[in-house]
Amino acid sequence: MRVLLRVLAPLLGLAVALVGVLVLLEVVAASVRPDDGDGLVVPWPEWYAALARTAWTDAPVPGIAIGTAVLGLLLVLVGLLARRHDIAVDGPAPEITVTTSPRMLARLVGRRVRAADDVAAASVTASRRRVWVAAQAWNDAGPELADGVRARVENLLDEIPLHHRPRVTVTVQDRKGPR
Amino acid sequence: MTGPDPRTTTALRRRAAAAIARSTVGERTLAVVVGLLLLAGGCLVALLCYGVFGTGRASRPLLDPMIVDALRTQPLVARFAAIVGGLLLAVLGLVWAAHALRPERRPDLVIDPGGPDGGPDTSIVVSAAAAAEAVAAQAAALPGVGRARARLVGTEAAPAMRVTLWLADDADVRDVLARLDAEVLATARASLGLADLPAAVRLELDHPQPGPRVA
Repeated sequence: MRVLLRVLAPLLGLAVALVGVLVLLEVVAASVRPDDGDGLVVPWPEWYAALARTAWTDAPVPGIAIGTAVLGLLLVLVGLLARRHDIAVDGPAPEITVTTSPRMLARLVGRRVRAADDVAAASVTASRRRVWVAAQAWNDAGPELADGVRARVENLLDEIPLHHRPRVTVTVQDRKGPR
Repeated sequence: MTGPDPRTTTALRRRAAAAIARSTVGERTLAVVVGLLLLAGGCLVALLCYGVFGTGRASRPLLDPMIVDALRTQPLVARFAAIVGGLLLAVLGLVWAAHALRPERRPDLVIDPGGPDGGPDTSIVVSAAAAAEAVAAQAAALPGVGRARARLVGTEAAPAMRVTLWLADDADVRDVLARLDAEVLATARASLGLADLPAAVRLELDHPQPGPRVA
């Protein structure tokens, strides 16, 4: 989202500036040469005639209006969702702000969970508030595996000075097939 | 001994938080404002098209002769309004685009102008890149840190350091951060002659180097 915003922001600015420049050009041109019927860049006399012919109920108008509204909604969403999803870590001093990404936390948790022998595979999703671990157990794994995985993740979270400690959710599935 | 002034601490904390990444508040506001305008305009026109404001109004042409006649009675006002509107759009659009495209500031630091080593006309300038490189090299040498990157951001009067650390698997995060503050940033503050240098540290996980495939 942030990349999209970075690309969109200058384009939007340039589009607004272009509209302004075109308006200026046409108004000045029309006042300098009032007898010349044609526009300088924009064929506005033709547009003028077309707009005078078209009623609000005519075919393309509602469609264009809805398209514009949808485009506006998308822009609002991009503007609102382009936040940083950093996870705050407690720094050693007040003037040091420490952050990390949810991906880094998920990778750390994943490595720790997969390092155990009783876990065949694991997928981890992390956010500021929550860590989800979906572990696959070998056939012979006991029911205590989920608690073991949770304990390992909690141990890891003890080692990282996270500002808000996320809640840990562990689900365990049996893996079919030989070990 | 009294503790640090809470106002100074708050200001330092704010500078450190601002150094995390380049702010996109301006771009986001622009996107939301333009989006809201398009959304409102589109919705109003759609409602007008479907006759919510009356079927008589909906069946009139887009360029209503009533409005055209009103503009024709005041040609000077209409022209003036169009010129002012166009000028405003052009300037605002260019300012927005320039703001979005402008590279981030990297303040060069002037060390102790007219200090004991030089005369009053001498001043030593440390470039932002040099200061950042020194910090990055020192940070990369800390145990548990695989790679490090640093960048000096902010203004000449209020610089801040942005440090990205790629940690090794077995790194002790608390220890790395404490040593970064006590060794690297303290050295940077001392050598740059700064009373305080807020820092925004970004932690990433280093990719382990692949070992040889054949032992």
